[in-house]
Amino acid sequence: MDYQNLPAVLIVEDEPLIRMGAVDMIEEAGFKTYEAGSADEAIEVMQTHSDIGILFTDIDMPGTMNGLKLAAYVRTTWPPVVIMIASGVIELDEADVPSGAAFVPKPYATNHVTKMLHEATGQVGA
Amino acid sequence: MASSSEPETPDDALLVSVGILAPRGRDAAVAGQLLDQHDIASTSVASLGELAGLIGRQIGAILVTEEALAGVGVDTLQEALAAQPPWSDVPFIVLANGTSSSRSNHAAARIDQLSNAVLLSRPLHAEELVRSVRSALKARRRQHEARKHLEQLELRERQLFESEAKFHAIANSVDQMIWSTLPDGFHDYYNDRWYEFTGVPEGSTDGEGWNGMFHPDDQEKAWARWRHSLETGEHYEIEYRLRHRTGQYRWVLGRAQPVRDEAGRITRWYGTCTDIHEIKVAEEQRQLMLGEMNHRVKNTLAMVNVMVSQTLRQSENLKDAQVAIQSRIGMMAQAHDRLIKAAWAQTRILEVIEAALAPHRTGEGRFAIEGPDVPIGSKQALALTMALHELSTNATKYGALSGDGDDGKIAVQWKVAQASDGAEVFHLSWTESGGPLVTPPSRKGFGSRMIEQALAGYFNGSAELNYAPQGLSFMLQAPLAGLTI
Repeated sequence: MDYQNLPAVLIVEDEPLIRMGAVDMIEEAGFKTYEAGSADEAIEVMQTHSDIGILFTDIDMPGTMNGLKLAAYVRTTWPPVVIMIASGVIELDEADVPSGAAFVPKPYATNHVTKMLHEATGQVGA
Repeated sequence: MASSSEPETPDDALLVSVGILAPRGRDAAVAGQLLDQHDIASTSVASLGELAGLIGRQIGAILVTEEALAGVGVDTLQEALAAQPPWSDVPFIVLANGTSSSRSNHAAARIDQLSNAVLLSRPLHAEELVRSVRSALKARRRQHEARKHLEQLELRERQLFESEAKFHAIANSVDQMIWSTLPDGFHDYYNDRWYEFTGVPEGSTDGEGWNGMFHPDDQEKAWARWRHSLETGEHYEIEYRLRHRTGQYRWVLGRAQPVRDEAGRITRWYGTCTDIHEIKVAEEQRQLMLGEMNHRVKNTLAMVNVMVSQTLRQSENLKDAQVAIQSRIGMMAQAHDRLIKAAWAQTRILEVIEAALAPHRTGEGRFAIEGPDVPIGSKQALALTMALHELSTNATKYGALSGDGDDGKIAVQWKVAQASDGAEVFHLSWTESGGPLVTPPSRKGFGSRMIEQALAGYFNGSAELNYAPQGLSFMLQAPLAGLTI
């Protein structure tokens, strides 16, 4: 695949099977992917791979940091990174979501996610 | 008890009558006649004993000659006088013999014992006698009036006592805490339940002391709500945590209503506290359960979503895809059943493996299952079930379980071993033998990706599929802690 023009996507999801599905879906959309099973792991990956332009994270995760805290951290540390937050819980407190972050409902609809990712690439680095 | 004022009863007629004891001479007849002329009833008796009887029946007044007081039955008279009720002191008019200077000490003492007596000198003077008798009867009437008044007071006191006792019996036998306040909200009553619940000394929560019994986080809200009710007269209702005598806070429903006078002014507030802790906790648990259920259902749907997408992508045709999807969904449903039975916490690995392989046991002795029955978490159990399902399905189609012969065998073995760094490591292997020659697949399907990527992830370990020609094998390695994270 040609990753030349598209940013890489970091997928953060603690459920391995669902992570596998998300990786497949996003790779099929033409993106290079990285994956992490926790927020701590995700930050490590972010620190070592500068080609990541999109953070695609689940909210409910075990550990000290959930997806929302991770998103807030990434927003401050790597401001240009586009943030997409996935959750099965619809009632989200807007105050918890970093500004400009997109919400992706679970389970994923491939067309919807692909469209959102391509729209997001226009914003990367903006 | 209050007596009737109707004059039919003999006692009532006696109340306004004069009892006369003048055994000698014509005194009795003269006095009786004189009183009759002035519409004053009288009754003449012959002895002190009879006179005592009249006193017992509350005669209005007594006219007696001095010499009669010295007669037989003086003790009976004294007893009758002493037996009078506290309000009663029957008035005597004593017809004296001569002047006090001529009276013996003995005779004077007898008159003194009557306590409420006047002396009239003989010969009888008509006006003097009638005025004395009227005055005595009038005083006697006042005694009766005082008695009635006293009886009424006693009745009211008794009724009040009974009503108070009834109130306390009700207030202290109900299961709720009851309190009341003055119109300004000053607490001045709590029933026994309040003190039983809180364990505080009686009176210590009067006034504004009650607020200190609330959980610090609830005090402000309760105060605001209570002040609002006091200002507006609106019904008070709030849930808050109240300190129990054990030191724990329990959820309580507090309610109060104002009582108003005829002009609509609030005279008091009456309130209750109901312990709703169990209901409240159950409700919280129910909400928590629902949230958790929602999460699990969504998660399960997400897993089904992945499985369906992957199956569709890798199937040759829709028919194959349908069979594969149905089989996988069926397996996931069964795995959920077992997890529900295990309260979705932990289960045992032997049970998980036996159950996963059961649908694929087509012949005797095809499977050899061996390993320690260690605990395994719900996520790992589900992932292992799915992996074993994929391996078994593959074996039935292409591997050791395919074909008509029963030479094909599968060994499922696991163990816990000590690594060089002292950590406990879990090893699980799947080894097929006796089947047709194995050729690696041209592309990796859902099953192999599920096993190599997802399964390893659930166990926080590594997994490897090996397509050896003599039989497919699979090896999972993970820290023992990975089974239950």
